Amino acid sequence: MRRGSAWIRWIVIGVLLVWSLFPIYWAVNTSFLTNGAAQSAPAHWLPVPGTLSNYTQALGAGPVSSQVVRSLVNSTVEAVGTTAATVVIATLGGYAFARLKFRFRRVLFYTVLATLALPGLATLIALYKMASYAHLDNTYLGIILVYTSGAIPLGMWIMHNAFNAIPVTLEEAAWIDGAGRFRTFRTIALPLARTGVAAAGIITFLFSWSQFTFPLVLSNGITTEPVTVLLPALVATRQVAFTLENSVAVLAILIPVALVLVLNRWIVSGLLAGGVK
Amino acid sequence: MSSRTDVPAPGRPARAARRPGGRRGRSEALTGYAMVAPVMIMIALLALLPVGITVAQSLFRVDPLIGPDKFTGLANYTAILHTPNLQTAFRNTLLYTVFGVVLSMMLGLVFAVALQRKVRASGLLLALAMLPWALPGVVGGVIWSWIYDPNFGVLNSFLKSVHLIGHYHIWVSTHAVQEIFVITLVQVWQFTPLATVVILASLQAIPNELYEAADIDGASALRKIRRITLPLARPGITVALIESIITATTIFDPVYVLNQNALSGESLVSAVYYITFQDLNFGQGYAFSVVLTIGIIALSAAAAAVTYRKVEF
Repeated sequence: MRRGSAWIRWIVIGVLLVWSLFPIYWAVNTSFLTNGAAQSAPAHWLPVPGTLSNYTQALGAGPVSSQVVRSLVNSTVEAVGTTAATVVIATLGGYAFARLKFRFRRVLFYTVLATLALPGLATLIALYKMASYAHLDNTYLGIILVYTSGAIPLGMWIMHNAFNAIPVTLEEAAWIDGAGRFRTFRTIALPLARTGVAAAGIITFLFSWSQFTFPLVLSNGITTEPVTVLLPALVATRQVAFTLENSVAVLAILIPVALVLVLNRWIVSGLLAGGVK
Repeated sequence: MSSRTDVPAPGRPARAARRPGGRRGRSEALTGYAMVAPVMIMIALLALLPVGITVAQSLFRVDPLIGPDKFTGLANYTAILHTPNLQTAFRNTLLYTVFGVVLSMMLGLVFAVALQRKVRASGLLLALAMLPWALPGVVGGVIWSWIYDPNFGVLNSFLKSVHLIGHYHIWVSTHAVQEIFVITLVQVWQFTPLATVVILASLQAIPNELYEAADIDGASALRKIRRITLPLARPGITVALIESIITATTIFDPVYVLNQNALSGESLVSAVYYITFQDLNFGQGYAFSVVLTIGIIALSAAAAAVTYRKVEF
């Protein structure tokens, strides 16, 4: 390609990076400023003079610190629980749909995938009603069950494709040697589908960590409220300084950002399992 | 964040031909049922049943405490038309969708074309570009709400320092199209990475020889994009388009955060939320959900039918 278009490419990439990263940088920057510095004009583009007091207040001694810490714990419990449940369930189902023969296999498979097309709205109110009926509202179990049902279709699709990408000959050899179907799955197919498991796990974790509408209606207190529900409430009620709110926002994105930076290879492969054919 | 994908190609059937009916076949079927049972139970109980409840109870008057107590036919559906602020919510959602889909598709295409050729640190570039997608929508909304802050926001302070505006502006809750635009930007910021990755995957499947042949013919960069890249990226563009339509039409998180309880930026989904969980009018909430779900699925199907072409290299 000629020199002119190479220049344009790098300018576009530069714009892409600024556009993607500046808002995140700005939250981080503000979280290290004192309230006075954050409100002065012109803006402080660097956290100088910096302070850690927003973080010590958010996590230690501030008026809302116990809520902030608890909400981060809640988010973690709910995301980890959902990820564990989804990966196990989706892996089992994905393998059976990819490899085993049984009646109604296709109908069941497409039924699960069809639920991918449902917006959350189609189930939100009914799930809220069902959860209160079963006394599972405002519990970790109820929230994890609801998230898991939402995460299973994509997780299963990723695992189905991961197993399909493995040549079937290894398993066939084991079958001929008399190994059972489940044993073959466990000892031969599963280890080969590790990257699929990683992709499904990371995407499920990010999906659960980001949930807002469902926990907004399913949890009604700090015992189960994730940070995604607490943070807008803090902002709306103006309980604390907005530099402190920024530090909570940064804490709320710390884990997703770390996951993307370290494990993005699997995220991209998992997203593309969505089938660009 | 969206976790939806397009409707997939048929699952490849297990390859090994096996005798059906034999002892082997029966035990294989039993293993199969046992392995898909957890998936099916979860989907039946927590996806299909709630959809069924939604459709069924949309035909009832639903008392917030007692539950459905009186069959009312389509009354909940006709009542939707009398939703306060319905016109605004509808107009806003239309604007959210047009702004959101057009912007994220344009940006996604431009970014994907820029990243198409492998450069040094491609992986790192992609990871950094992906970041907004991985963040919770409400946190994105909160982060941008400080950028837009009328008194201390960096947007005002920056625009003023480069003399693009003479005085500080109020960006949100203004009852103007500009408000819808700035709220859409938050979602575009979060959705564009997904569009970029999906389109990029399509682009990377295009054989390099096509570009080399065009180079020999002396085609310009723009012409190569128009004649090779765009037509052959259709599958990826279709997927990104459908996802962007679903994301934009169901916009809720950034509206909830940036617009607080003001009605000016209300979307259709926020209207459903307020009808159901503030007015406790569950029957009408169900009916509204049914209508929106059907509308969104129909819109995505139409978009897919218009855009999708099978591509053969």
